Amino acid sequence: MKLKDIKAKYRELFVVEKSPEEKNKPRDIKKTVKDFWYGKPHEERRLGDLYVGDTGLYKHREWRGVKDTFYYFNMVWLYNYAHMVSDIVKYGEGPQGIVDFAKGIMRYRWMGQTYLSVMHWFDRGMEGMRGEALRASAWHYRGMTSETIRQFQRMFISDKKIHNGKEPKNWKKNIAHNETVGGSIFYPWRDVLDDVPLEMIPYFVSVHVNNHTVLNYIDAAQSIGLPSDPCPMCQAEYGLFVNDDYPDYAPTMVTSNEACDGSVATSVMQDWFLNRPLYAMPQPMRYDDPLVQEHCQKEIEGCWKFIEEQYGIPFDFEQYVKYARSFNKLTEFEWEKWDVAANTPYYPINGVAQALYRIYYSQDGDRPIWHEIDDHVKKIMNKTVKNKINCFPKTRHRAIAWSCAPLYYSNWCTWAYNCWGINCVINMDSLMFDQYLRTDTYEHALEDLAWMNEKAPMRAMAVGGHKHILSLFDYMERFNCDMVIMYDQLQCKGMQGIHGIFEDEFRKRDIHAIWVPHALPDKRTVSRKEIRKIISDYMTTVMHEEPLDPTLVDFDDDKSW
Amino acid sequence: MKDLVHIFELEDLLQEANNELIRKAKSDGKRILGYTCYFMPEVLLDLPGCVSVRLRAPRSTSPEMATYYMSGRTCMYGRCLLERALEGGYNFLDAQLATETCTVTCRFQEHLQMMDIIQNPDFFCEFTDVPFKKNDNSIDHYEKQLQVHVLNKLKEHFGIDISDEALLTAIKQHNEICRLITEIGSYRKLDEPTITGTEFSIIMLSTLVCPKYLIIEKLKDIAEQLKTRQPDVKKTYRCKVVLAGSEEDDPNFVKLIEECGALVVADRHCYGSLPGREEIVVKEGESPLRAIARHYLETSMCPRFMEQHIMRERKQFLADVAKEYKADGIIVSQMKFCEYWSYERTIDTLILPRDFGIPVCSIEKEYVNNAVGQLRTRFQAFVESIELKAIQKTKKET
Repeated sequence: MKLKDIKAKYRELFVVEKSPEEKNKPRDIKKTVKDFWYGKPHEERRLGDLYVGDTGLYKHREWRGVKDTFYYFNMVWLYNYAHMVSDIVKYGEGPQGIVDFAKGIMRYRWMGQTYLSVMHWFDRGMEGMRGEALRASAWHYRGMTSETIRQFQRMFISDKKIHNGKEPKNWKKNIAHNETVGGSIFYPWRDVLDDVPLEMIPYFVSVHVNNHTVLNYIDAAQSIGLPSDPCPMCQAEYGLFVNDDYPDYAPTMVTSNEACDGSVATSVMQDWFLNRPLYAMPQPMRYDDPLVQEHCQKEIEGCWKFIEEQYGIPFDFEQYVKYARSFNKLTEFEWEKWDVAANTPYYPINGVAQALYRIYYSQDGDRPIWHEIDDHVKKIMNKTVKNKINCFPKTRHRAIAWSCAPLYYSNWCTWAYNCWGINCVINMDSLMFDQYLRTDTYEHALEDLAWMNEKAPMRAMAVGGHKHILSLFDYMERFNCDMVIMYDQLQCKGMQGIHGIFEDEFRKRDIHAIWVPHALPDKRTVSRKEIRKIISDYMTTVMHEEPLDPTLVDFDDDKSW
Repeated sequence: MKDLVHIFELEDLLQEANNELIRKAKSDGKRILGYTCYFMPEVLLDLPGCVSVRLRAPRSTSPEMATYYMSGRTCMYGRCLLERALEGGYNFLDAQLATETCTVTCRFQEHLQMMDIIQNPDFFCEFTDVPFKKNDNSIDHYEKQLQVHVLNKLKEHFGIDISDEALLTAIKQHNEICRLITEIGSYRKLDEPTITGTEFSIIMLSTLVCPKYLIIEKLKDIAEQLKTRQPDVKKTYRCKVVLAGSEEDDPNFVKLIEECGALVVADRHCYGSLPGREEIVVKEGESPLRAIARHYLETSMCPRFMEQHIMRERKQFLADVAKEYKADGIIVSQMKFCEYWSYERTIDTLILPRDFGIPVCSIEKEYVNNAVGQLRTRFQAFVESIELKAIQKTKKET
């Protein structure tokens, strides 16, 4: 390689070229110092210039001003990297956990390909964030990372597959379940058994961190004859089994019908592959029919009986009460957050952190980490409200995102704010599990638990009658939104089946709605770049707006994690 | 074989949803009640004063308007139904008794609720929740749902008698149809069947889309003729197959299979008779409605059921049907975009040959059957593969 080539490569990888306008500007020392201290104003950041080609990697880190850059380096980078090591030991039940972790990395593709790219996932979500928005959003990410480590370490230390087929001591103390079965179902045994969703980390979390990983599973599912059109989320779950890439950490399985035909069908497939005691705990489709409640409650009781029989441990209502009450505190804070998000500009959490954290903790159920995170975020939010800090000052549009999101591009909202000032204040999945759990009597507890599970992701809005999905318009009003980001999951039959009605309603109500096609985890159907183009095209051709940061309008990050 | 009596007449009746006999029933003052799924018990919609019609969209082409509403990425059956409704083809319906049992038909029926499509002032659309299991809890739940969302609504809107006596009358008529269909279908079990799959498909479908009281005599005539009907002297088929899968209401599809040399001897699909035409038994001490709820849950072989043993029994059932009807193979057909059957078909394709030694031809098709050439190639190849296996088996034995 010649020196010339080395220099060119160096420039390509590390040097951010200045725009011609900037080059020609006279040097302004005062402004340079100010930009150094506070960071550049939003419109001058040119974040798109930081990327290396189509990789989505940064030539250098974003300078956010002294305070925020150091906060990010210390409290996001260093803090999380340190915890990513210490949590391995903590949740791995000692130093042996490190060995199991290493074995897990080697054995499972979804693990080996994602762990080291976690901090890039933080970077993508936090891009352009400043001040309290940066801090609160980063805490949410921290919570998800910690709980992810807890879950996969629990799987690894109990996994027969990485222990030469032998049964590790915790194997019999775990309950495996669909990622769509709410963790709240298992509260009566939380102190003695550990419920770990089977696909949550291998598929759902991993696709957020590294969107390439899941493609292998989708292809595996199709390689044995599954057509390509069913929901790709279910296909990916299926592929984990086809490739034998799931840990064997529990003697039983609990499945659900959450909340579509593909999910039911996935349970059938899981039965064939797992070949172990399985309890299907379907929830009613017409869930707000008063007549279905008793049926739903009995199914939950059936699940409890199954656990009692399989593990020989009796149902403990006191434990249920303890965890339900504790979870209620998370719910109360969530309502506070919604109130601030709906009625003020002081909400310090960005769209992606809001969406992912909410779906993660509410599905997972009560865990100490969520309380720890909420305490941090509460302090930040109290400060922003008290001091009237506008956390997203460049907001031009308050958007609500509806339907299921592109998992490979959940951070589109960060981009949309940086580029166009579209602030995604709430999304459909955040509004699920909206249920306070009474604990005064067994009957009340069961009734509310059933309701909670009936309001699980997708089910709450997408099934049980068209009024649920059309509740978008009520939420739009409640959260003071002027724009809808309408996720168009191309393989979701339920949402595709009501496409035209939404078109009609948007026209009738004169609402700006941007349809964002995607295929949940499969980036090959509609790429991130295409999603950005669709939004940008709408903003220029319909809204006639100029981008806040023109360097973000068109760039390629196809190879990015 | 000699043509079956009434067969051309029945075939004609399948050419449109609002057929001659439906119009006759309407003029007789009957309430015409639509449904799409086995989980809406047709027997309840055939109560005195009512006539059930399982919705089809015969002679559909391209469902353009429905594709606007439901996109091109949903099951074409659902879209064709909506298209037909938008065209005014279901204005004869007095009610649609709906179920949220598969996503796209559910959305179709929700469109009937949301948009003022059916031009009939009496029209209403009511949903019933259908459980995913066959346990007692599910039967209790289903019974309650049927009482409130079907029977009470029929009484409330049309003054229909929903007493136990009326239900027993409906069950009696229903069972008579079932007996006749079972008798007619039993000739498919013969070594040399005396009824073709196409003929049976026409007869079976006509019982789903015509008023039963107007076709029962025709079925009796057919059953009578079959007692003495002789098979062709020279076999007109090369192997026998079971047709399993999702929604299938087109006799021409069965005809296509048979043209390729595979006689369809059993039908295990939505709109088929296995299950579908078992008699309802009211046990001692059981109310008629309870018996109906239990019957429909117990007999259904829908891939929607999630219990572990039920999921496994479905495969066994299919293998048993193949054995009972002396089939050489199974064609598992899935309507494109049907999620239940995407998975069920894939698993059937793996499990049935592996665990039961039954050859499987696995296909995906559209409601409007345009890909005839491709399907013909697939079926011909399947027939040949079965013949080759038979030759190899004979060689081994000798």
